[in-house]
Amino acid sequence: MTWFRIFLFELQYRKERPVTYIYFGILFLVGFFTMSSDVVSIGGGTGLVKENAPTTIATMMVILSGFMMMITSAIMGVAVLRDFEHNTHSMIFTSPITKFDYLIGRFLGSFVITVFVFSGMLFGFMLGEFMPWRDPSRLLSFNLWNYLQPFLVFSIPNLFFMGILFFFTGALSRKMMVIYVQWIVLFAIYQLAVILTREIDNRSIAALLDPIGLNTIRNTIQYWTVAEQNTMNIAFKGMVFWNRALWLGVGLITMVIGYRNFNFAIVKSSIIKPYEVKDYGTSDFTISVPRIATHFGPRTYLIQLAKLSNFYFKYILRGIPFWSITGFGFLLMVVNSFSIGQVFGSSSYPTTYLMLELITGDFTIFFVIILVFYVGELVWRERDVNMDFIQGSLPVSDFVHLFSKFLGLIMVFVVTLLSLIAFGVIIQAILGYYKFDLLVYFGILFSETLSLLVLFSAMAFFIQVLVNKKFLGHALMILFFIVMGVLDELGLQHNLFQFGGGNLGIYSDMNGFGHFVRSFLWFDIYWLTFISFLFPLSVALVVRGTESGIKQRWKAWKSRLNPHLIILSICSLMLFGLSGFYIFYNTNILNTFKSTVEMAAYQATYEKKLKKYEFIKQPKIVDTKLKMEIYPETRDYTVKGTYVLKNYESEPIQDIHVQLGQDDDLYFREVTFNQPAAIKENYEPFRYYVYQLKKPLLSGDSMELHFQMEYITRGFKEDPNIASTSVVYNGTFLNNMEFPSLGYSEALELTSDNSRKKNGLPPKNRMKSREDSCCLGINFVSDDSHGTGFDITIGTTADQIAVAPGYLQNSWVEDERRYFHYKMDQPMIPFFSIVSARYEVLKDQIVLPHGEGKKEVDLEIYYHKGHEYNLESMMQGMKNALTYFSENFGPYQYKQMRILEYPRYTSNAQSFANTVPFSEGIGFMTKVEKDENVDVPYFVTAHEMAHQWWGHQLQGANVQGSSVFSETLSQYSALMVMKQKYSEEQVKKYLKQELNRYLRGRTTEQKREMPLAQVENQQYIHYGKGANIMYALQDYIGEDHVNRVLRHLLRDWKSFESHGRYVTTTDLLEYLREETPDSLQNVITDFFERIILYENRVIESSFIKKSEHEYLVDIQINTQKIEADSIGNTRDIMMNDWIDVGVFTKESTGKEKLIYLQKHHFKEKTSTLRIKVNMLPSSVGIDPYHKLIDRTPSDNTVAIN
Amino acid sequence: MNLTIRNLSKTYASGVKALNKVSLNIPVGMFGLLGPNGAGKSSLMRTIATLQDPDEGSIMLDDLNVLRQKEEVRKILGYLPQEFGVYPKVSAEVLLDHLAVLKGIVNKAERKELTSALLNKTNLWQARKKKLGGFSGGMKQRFGIAQALLSNPRLIIVDEPTAGLDPAERNRFLNLLSELGENTVVILSTHIVQDVKELCTSMAIINKGCVLLEGNPIGTIESIRGKIWRKTIEKKELEAFKQSYQVISERLIAGKPQIHVFSDSSPDNSFEGVGPDLEDVYFSHVLGAMEKF
Repeated sequence: MTWFRIFLFELQYRKERPVTYIYFGILFLVGFFTMSSDVVSIGGGTGLVKENAPTTIATMMVILSGFMMMITSAIMGVAVLRDFEHNTHSMIFTSPITKFDYLIGRFLGSFVITVFVFSGMLFGFMLGEFMPWRDPSRLLSFNLWNYLQPFLVFSIPNLFFMGILFFFTGALSRKMMVIYVQWIVLFAIYQLAVILTREIDNRSIAALLDPIGLNTIRNTIQYWTVAEQNTMNIAFKGMVFWNRALWLGVGLITMVIGYRNFNFAIVKSSIIKPYEVKDYGTSDFTISVPRIATHFGPRTYLIQLAKLSNFYFKYILRGIPFWSITGFGFLLMVVNSFSIGQVFGSSSYPTTYLMLELITGDFTIFFVIILVFYVGELVWRERDVNMDFIQGSLPVSDFVHLFSKFLGLIMVFVVTLLSLIAFGVIIQAILGYYKFDLLVYFGILFSETLSLLVLFSAMAFFIQVLVNKKFLGHALMILFFIVMGVLDELGLQHNLFQFGGGNLGIYSDMNGFGHFVRSFLWFDIYWLTFISFLFPLSVALVVRGTESGIKQRWKAWKSRLNPHLIILSICSLMLFGLSGFYIFYNTNILNTFKSTVEMAAYQATYEKKLKKYEFIKQPKIVDTKLKMEIYPETRDYTVKGTYVLKNYESEPIQDIHVQLGQDDDLYFREVTFNQPAAIKENYEPFRYYVYQLKKPLLSGDSMELHFQMEYITRGFKEDPNIASTSVVYNGTFLNNMEFPSLGYSEALELTSDNSRKKNGLPPKNRMKSREDSCCLGINFVSDDSHGTGFDITIGTTADQIAVAPGYLQNSWVEDERRYFHYKMDQPMIPFFSIVSARYEVLKDQIVLPHGEGKKEVDLEIYYHKGHEYNLESMMQGMKNALTYFSENFGPYQYKQMRILEYPRYTSNAQSFANTVPFSEGIGFMTKVEKDENVDVPYFVTAHEMAHQWWGHQLQGANVQGSSVFSETLSQYSALMVMKQKYSEEQVKKYLKQELNRYLRGRTTEQKREMPLAQVENQQYIHYGKGANIMYALQDYIGEDHVNRVLRHLLRDWKSFESHGRYVTTTDLLEYLREETPDSLQNVITDFFERIILYENRVIESSFIKKSEHEYLVDIQINTQKIEADSIGNTRDIMMNDWIDVGVFTKESTGKEKLIYLQKHHFKEKTSTLRIKVNMLPSSVGIDPYHKLIDRTPSDNTVAIN
Repeated sequence: MNLTIRNLSKTYASGVKALNKVSLNIPVGMFGLLGPNGAGKSSLMRTIATLQDPDEGSIMLDDLNVLRQKEEVRKILGYLPQEFGVYPKVSAEVLLDHLAVLKGIVNKAERKELTSALLNKTNLWQARKKKLGGFSGGMKQRFGIAQALLSNPRLIIVDEPTAGLDPAERNRFLNLLSELGENTVVILSTHIVQDVKELCTSMAIINKGCVLLEGNPIGTIESIRGKIWRKTIEKKELEAFKQSYQVISERLIAGKPQIHVFSDSSPDNSFEGVGPDLEDVYFSHVLGAMEKF
């Protein structure tokens, strides 16, 4: 039982070490604050998923037990290693204990301590749950098993196998370095798993491989609904079991190998051959030591600084950890570079800015590791080799000492950044892209990235010097990163509080670095001066000699601050203050800064005060005339406009409610009417005014509203990414959301129920029901108009082209500015865009069927020079889509169609009347590999073209289901265009992405999942589910039938006047049901009015060979139909459905080919089928093309044995 | 040049009183600091080497306030700590050159001349390209000596420099030190009395943080001349002799204890008088024998 005494001794030893309790405390506090406050949050617990839901707890435990690896390694790694470090090993190894006793005793002792330390999070979580300030509605009632289960299944196995790894590698290598390298390996495997999950098909491999099990959990619960997440534990079976088994296995193998190879020898036999001493001649003792004068002065200091920096630089560069960290970083980037800029499974051309996103996205974490790790190593460098006394007595100033370490590290970063640039260029070249934009590489990596590295390194030095304990310093530095992440929640949202705040924004080919440079520079100066204020303080506190206690160092602090340091510190502080003031002046005085909390309060007050006017009768806009001047170089614009307002109501209207735009840069100079009116109610802070007309506007009468507004950019904003990317140097894109509108704007209301509760508002109904008559006369775009004429004159700089909806009437140059006059020939929805940029233009034409005749339509693409890649795809998309839609849905209402590129500040395309602004980030740079993936530019173009029908010709009423008319029908239309050009497999590839969007989306639903017909503008439903449902629908009832329904719907509901209201999904379903045979009526119900999921699978199958051309295939099939409610509670329901059954054969090329596909009727849970085919069957499937919504589509098809 | 230490006191956080009102006057030349392990020698030397701050007291090197003007002191200081390590993956030549730069020798040619001279003097010339990690204890100690002598220090502090050196190396080092000691303050701490006797013009004995004796070796030896008596006894008698006499040292000669006794006159005629050496001075002070007189 010697091992037991060693075990007890280990416990005793650790019991007396304060660091044991510090680690426990850290984990306890993190757990406590995560559960008890909104400030700290680690994975999960948002919206309807409770903060102590079993899945949330499991995720948090895995994250903590995995990412607090340094604590595990600090405890387990040193268990044997400390004997070497304290040189006690010779005593122990010569004492009469056996290897077994020693290793097992030490291991178990340390492991028990590790488990104890990590139980800190367990207790922290549990205690946090009971804090009186917790909002009980966000918690489930306490359940001990929900904590114990993940602790047993995930945390302890993680600790155990990592513990083994750290323990034995520490024991064998006798080097802390090797333990560090293991962190990196484990982390890299984890990262690899994360990357793998980006492809839907690879998620199972990722789940298996992830050493900490986070991806295993995420994969298991990826499609769990809110209700499931709140009630179910993640069972120890399936992938969870295999993942745990794999890593425990790795642990056990390590243990066996480690145990066998551990040697009770004091001198380790070296793998490296001993150094051969060459004969360099003998020493000459008679030589006299020359008397050489020493020189001190600025030059010497510089030389010393250079020498020392270089020394530390080389030290890092020669170390194994550095190579393994950067090596893994580069490896991950290589893996990732194959899926650059992926949209719907297609990648983009590897532009420099995308390479930089890859680099900054993937490599940042490795910079963080290098930074945290090496700052600790550098601060302790001399002490670790016991050379600190010699070094300390050298005539090198404290400043040079510390600064050279800092500089050495920064040099490492510079070299790394240079190699990252080289890496980027090489990857670009390999991918066949040769536009290496070195200016952009350097512009981003050597400004934004390097600044952050400098700032955080300096902070890490300060922390390491201050606490003077290496591991504690590491932990505190990580804590510092966490604290920085939660500052927002603490109300310190302004970048003046966010260390390293300020950024270069998004780089765009069109707009370059744009206006971001200025604010970035100021924030950079601000934070750099802050650390150059802090650095001298670190210098004065650095340990030199024996005084390491903070008290003694604090005492000596003042005397160590020499005049230079004081001047540096004071000057920095002054610059810090001045730049801070200047930033504040810009962000808070020239501009307005509102924190999220202030913004929420503002929105809440708006709603409380003005909600009463939501449905007040207002005239509608019937004509819009605008004169606009855009000044891209100063990022200003002015608008002079007139709306013609017409009273559609049967009653006269006396009060006109005008809502002006909220943007603080907007100044409204004039709001007048062409008849006498006075302000009756003034809600100034909300820019909401009620004008009383002297003479009421009689039913059917019109009047004019004139307004003048100016948008003036002053200084810079706190976060220039938000709200100030509309008017830019090149690539202005704005819409009329900020223009005057009529009446209460529901869009300004707070949407999050949590935040509504905090501001004393009841939960918000996203949309009114279809039966609620209030909203049937309002369309989904705006309640301001049933259609408006449109006339706009835009002026811009001479080298730019400005475009708005309508037909170009005239273009001229005046005062070195260029003017464009556009006019629409028919009423359009009151939603328009204005763009202005230096464009190239591609023109084409197409002849479309128009009623009985034909009509010519002009097609134009306005693009940025150099972005020619997909013009052809887009042009073809326009042509094919416009043709298909004209033939199947009804005529195209315009004579032209234009696509306009705009900068990638947002990544979408938006369809305005005959005008489609299309982001640089979504289609222009996508690399279309024919026959490989979905042609994204083609598809998006088709989708936007569809909006000219669905949205511009037909508008749904602003009630539940309205987005079916705009988005779901556009998805359907685009799919039909795709289907003409691409194979079913390729269309299915796209649908798979959309199915995933739906299944993932419903797991994070914040309120209620709705059936498709009642969708409340939920993207995962109207895009994701909508695309799959519509595709299945045309499969079930036929494309022609669906198209006929749509054609009739459009014909009947195009104009508001015909029914005096807008269309709803109730109407749509009526049309659909008419067109659907009785046997499939339930399909309409299932698809649109219920939330139905299937769990279909083939249990087994076999075949009998009758002859060469006759095979009988027997299939046993399990079908299950599930109905879910709005939060995901499910129940099995009766099956009475027609479902595809398919049989495939293997071609000589190895590819599977469909030989049989028929719908069979299923009523029972298990059914057996016998199918006759004429070729050798290789696999069979139920719903093999995944037309129905199925959470595990992978088991639908199985191979026949 | 003169190093004046006044009332230097230091108590560690653990409560150990390392230095207790230490006052010393150290002239140019070799100064030996004798004392048993834990006497406070290293604490004192580290304080002079600017690596430790006393709680009170002052150290002046002529006009230079050692405790305040640390930077100035370091420019003229050569220091060999008692225990030290080196960067294991660097060769002796490279590290010495590196340290020379840090010592303020910025001229490359001069540096080369100096480092090769010191490598020769410390008998490391053959091993100059060898990684320091592969050095033996003695080689490492010699490297420590070499670095302490870089840049013509005018104040040399060497803490137990001869530990780990073989006799030949030790002699060579001591000769080197004494060469340098002619116009330099050299403080040499040791518990090998012989070193001090051979080299030092002045010395001090400290124990438990207090200075027990300050003077020159010859003078102090003279002060106990005629008071040291020697006798060879049986092992079992040892305790009894310790009770009755001031036994300052004992050693085994051919298996039998030979004791030295401190006494103003011959204790009895079985003792024979010996010509005292520094060791007797040391032991008589360290054991507190002198205080009784």
